[in-house]
Amino acid sequence: MRSRVLLVLPAWNEAGNLRGVVAELRAERPGDDIVLVDDGSLDGTTTAALSAGCVVLTLPFHLGYGAAVQAGVKYGHRNGYEIVVTFDADGQHDPADVAPLAACIAEGADLALGSRFLSKGSYRGGIVRQAGRRVFSWLTYVLTGLRISDPTSGLKALGVRAQTLFALAGFPDRFPDADALVLARRARLTVVERPARMRPSHNAHSMHGGYRAVAYTFNMCLSLLVAAAGRETDLRG
Amino acid sequence: MPIRQKVFFLSVAVVLLLVIVELIRRRRLRVEYSWLWIASGVTIIVLILRYDLLVWLTATTGAVIPTSTLFFLSILYLALLSLNYSVRLSDLTRQVKVLAQEVALLRAERETPPDTRPRP
Repeated sequence: MRSRVLLVLPAWNEAGNLRGVVAELRAERPGDDIVLVDDGSLDGTTTAALSAGCVVLTLPFHLGYGAAVQAGVKYGHRNGYEIVVTFDADGQHDPADVAPLAACIAEGADLALGSRFLSKGSYRGGIVRQAGRRVFSWLTYVLTGLRISDPTSGLKALGVRAQTLFALAGFPDRFPDADALVLARRARLTVVERPARMRPSHNAHSMHGGYRAVAYTFNMCLSLLVAAAGRETDLRG
Repeated sequence: MPIRQKVFFLSVAVVLLLVIVELIRRRRLRVEYSWLWIASGVTIIVLILRYDLLVWLTATTGAVIPTSTLFFLSILYLALLSLNYSVRLSDLTRQVKVLAQEVALLRAERETPPDTRPRP
């Protein structure tokens, strides 16, 4: 029987961590399908994922996090999965948090986010990142009226309507965070948040470090404006 | 404008136009992008032959010397041209992204054994 839940793992040079993360997911979620999106890795991530028994989408070159996630969502959408869960391949997320998020979708929500701030004892990142998240959390509230504590969370569960939105060609494809939430609200999707435990990423190229944090902040502010003030047709593709 | 200047700049403009036409003929330049370049070449020729137009434009905009009008227009033109390239690059980026995703999806579909393939 085909599973209703698809786990999408975007990965860039994660051959080392992959086996452990997949094994942990399989143990916790034996009935779910896993698709790994290899975002132009140079370290044999595709081979590692295939030998771990995943379906693999190999992007011909590096596109970036958002576009990799989007490829996985397209796969889930086209193959008729009711729930698509995005899950980082670097071991940051806890497989035990998938079930409550999937349950939200099954109960009628369109988009469910895992939040490290609703969870006790979760890794929260440095002081700068926390401040940044607070700013985007506040901006999201101003723009949508949604109280979301962790808009940058990479752990998301998507119902069919959210999958349709996330698969649009013009959907924000750098880091779909707060801007994605603004679009989701404009498309009248129901967004909920549940606690999720985050572990420190044992990953050398974590996404929001150093000068990139400045670029990220600037780009995200612009992207938020575009999401909030964009044309109505952007929501239909 | 002295006749020597006129002849020199006219030959430059004509050579430019010839290069453009040749590029179109060899299909190195797509026809839909070439009108801009032809228009640029023709504008240069018009301004050489009718210097009084530039003088009139200078007076109308309130500039002092025709040279500054000419430089202003050239810089504005180049800025708009780069903006136009940015727009085209953005389009291309989006198209390449979609193509790359489709390639990955099609390849996965082809290489996954039929019995393990999810059935909609």
